[in-house]
Amino acid sequence: MTMTCHESKELTVPYLELDLEPSRIRDVTAHLDGCAGCRTEMEAVRQVLVRVKGVAVPDPGDRFWNEFPDKVRQALARERPPIPSGLRKGMAGWPMALAASVLLLVGAWSLKGMFAQGPAPSQPRAVAQAPRAAEPELPQFAEADWHEFWDEDPDMALVEMAAGLDRQAVDRLFGDI
Amino acid sequence: MAESDYQLLDRYAAGDETAFEELIKRHQKTIYNLAYRMLENHADAADLAQRTFVQAFLHHQNFKRESSFRTWLYQIGMNLCRNAIRDRARRVHEDVQELELADSQDIFAEVAGAELKDRLGRAIRTLPTRQKEALVLRVYHDHAFAEIGTIMSCSEGTAKANYHHAVDKLRRALVSGEG
Repeated sequence: MTMTCHESKELTVPYLELDLEPSRIRDVTAHLDGCAGCRTEMEAVRQVLVRVKGVAVPDPGDRFWNEFPDKVRQALARERPPIPSGLRKGMAGWPMALAASVLLLVGAWSLKGMFAQGPAPSQPRAVAQAPRAAEPELPQFAEADWHEFWDEDPDMALVEMAAGLDRQAVDRLFGDI
Repeated sequence: MAESDYQLLDRYAAGDETAFEELIKRHQKTIYNLAYRMLENHADAADLAQRTFVQAFLHHQNFKRESSFRTWLYQIGMNLCRNAIRDRARRVHEDVQELELADSQDIFAEVAGAELKDRLGRAIRTLPTRQKEALVLRVYHDHAFAEIGTIMSCSEGTAKANYHHAVDKLRRALVSGEG
């Protein structure tokens, strides 16, 4: 089967790459034998590939290659966030979480106690001069209520009692100033 | 018998630092050459080769081993090259003269015949990125088109088409300057 010049040009690169069926290679070869124009075209493409392939990459040298793994190691270390020593393998995270939770609970309990006690003793004048109506009201419990409160939460009941005693003491000491 | 890349990766995952170094030494020249062909200067190629390995080791657990480790490195490297070329194009747009300076270090300095070198160099530099990728992988790294397709995340046919277009453009660039 005769091949046209257009078909031959379409197959130039695969022909040079030997990326064609043997029968197609024979067809192109037969066409090139009888067509000077396509031979020139084929030679031009071959020259392009030869010239492109002939360009070498300059070798950066042994020192570059020897240092390269270390540079990768350093760059990798910069990319990776450091792992805290306590969280390295073998150390489960749950004890840390438990400890954090306990600390949070203790902190919250302490804060609740502080607010319930009113202003700090180091500011007695402000406590004495502030209008009574503006003071934060402490819960007033009847005797029966205290029992109920104690049953519900004895720790908080103690805190409330202590807060009440403190305020009375402050009033006695600074109420006339 | 030399250990396979997969075996070295397993050792690296288990904390063996010698496997890390062995993997890098095994592939550093290939990846540097790829980067140099794509970016055409030593500084960018060295930086990109380094970043390719960093990405590979950072994400080695995501490597599904459906291809060779080398092909995976090629994929990472080629993606980084693509981004670098895109960034460079933005910069060149801002400063055309910088491109002229960069030309002086291009890889075609050793090609005989200054005029031909310039034409070929310009032609390769102006190839669309995908065509240049196919050209580099085929001509300089001797990959089969199926593997080129894997690296470029396209079909074998698309890889071939990109390569053929690249060669055709280079031929036309050279022929048009003749006579």
